[in-house]
Amino acid sequence: MMKRMLLPLLAAALLVGCADEEFRTTDIEEIMPSLEFALTDGDGEPARAEDYRGKTTLVYFGYTQCPDVCPLTLARFASIFNELSEAERDDVQMLLISVDPERDTPEVLKRYTGAFGPEFTGLTGDKEEIDALTNRYRIAYSFEEPNERGDYIVNHSSAVFAFNAEGQPRFLVRDPHSNQDVLADLRQVIAEG
Amino acid sequence: MLNALSNARRHVMPTLLGAAILLGAVNAQASDVSVSNARLSLLPGNTPGAGYFDIENGSESAITLTGADSEAFEAIELHESMEHDGMAHMHGVESVEIGPGETFSFAPRGHHLMFMDRLAPLTEGDEVEVTLDIDGEPLPVTFDVVSPASL
Ligand SMILES: [Cu+2]
Repeated sequence: MMKRMLLPLLAAALLVGCADEEFRTTDIEEIMPSLEFALTDGDGEPARAEDYRGKTTLVYFGYTQCPDVCPLTLARFASIFNELSEAERDDVQMLLISVDPERDTPEVLKRYTGAFGPEFTGLTGDKEEIDALTNRYRIAYSFEEPNERGDYIVNHSSAVFAFNAEGQPRFLVRDPHSNQDVLADLRQVIAEG
Repeated sequence: MLNALSNARRHVMPTLLGAAILLGAVNAQASDVSVSNARLSLLPGNTPGAGYFDIENGSESAITLTGADSEAFEAIELHESMEHDGMAHMHGVESVEIGPGETFSFAPRGHHLMFMDRLAPLTEGDEVEVTLDIDGEPLPVTFDVVSPASL
């Protein structure tokens, strides 16, 4: 009698412990679609989501002419990656997807992301390809009027999306989430394999 | 000295003397304004940089920062970043007023100087001379070029 009741309980507890440990940041497992895109990489070559499977993948939508929030966000993740073991680091990558393809050519993006470390890759595309992606993840971006020198500001999502090695959505990071919480969630997804 | 001028300014303002004393007061204030922790966050390539610093107004009246200039950049603008409903916004700011005795921080994810189109190559560890415009008075400040990773 006892045995019969305990076993399923134990199994359930194990399941919860392994597959469904709660994230400290925002859980998006049920609310976001898997990672799919068709873009262009820093060498001007086609880049498809399938090419980026096999590693825990963080996705951020930004642009290189952004001097404050974008580099701070990428630098923040570079410092979080620094906390990982070498083995964990091999299993993580961060994609900066440009919402300003006009100015963010593959060369510009490659130079920009290269400054943050080998885990960082910049992707761009034409407007339809980028819109397909921003619509998929329900994020917005908008352009301000250019100034007299032709410079313009792009307002964009500040969120960072995390996907597991199979491209399944896992968690979302916002500015107020602490680095410690992000690190814990990142390790959890890397450990999924 | 400054105290006396400020008091005078408050009381004598409506008289003809006011204008002359006001001018004197502004000049006296420039030396009571100090800037510290001036950093210029830059990346390789020609992407814009962000300038951060703390400005302390040690004078007895409000001061207004209206702009900045440097021979190392084509243009410098005053900007502010903000977050609203998960969106990162940035917009230009005409001026920033700093009250008497107050310190105002240009800091990551908030107010910053936006340095556009560098005219000479710059790398981490370099110094850049910048002139802040405070009530029409130039205030020279040296910015250290840093990587955004150090902020
Ligand atoms: Cu700016």
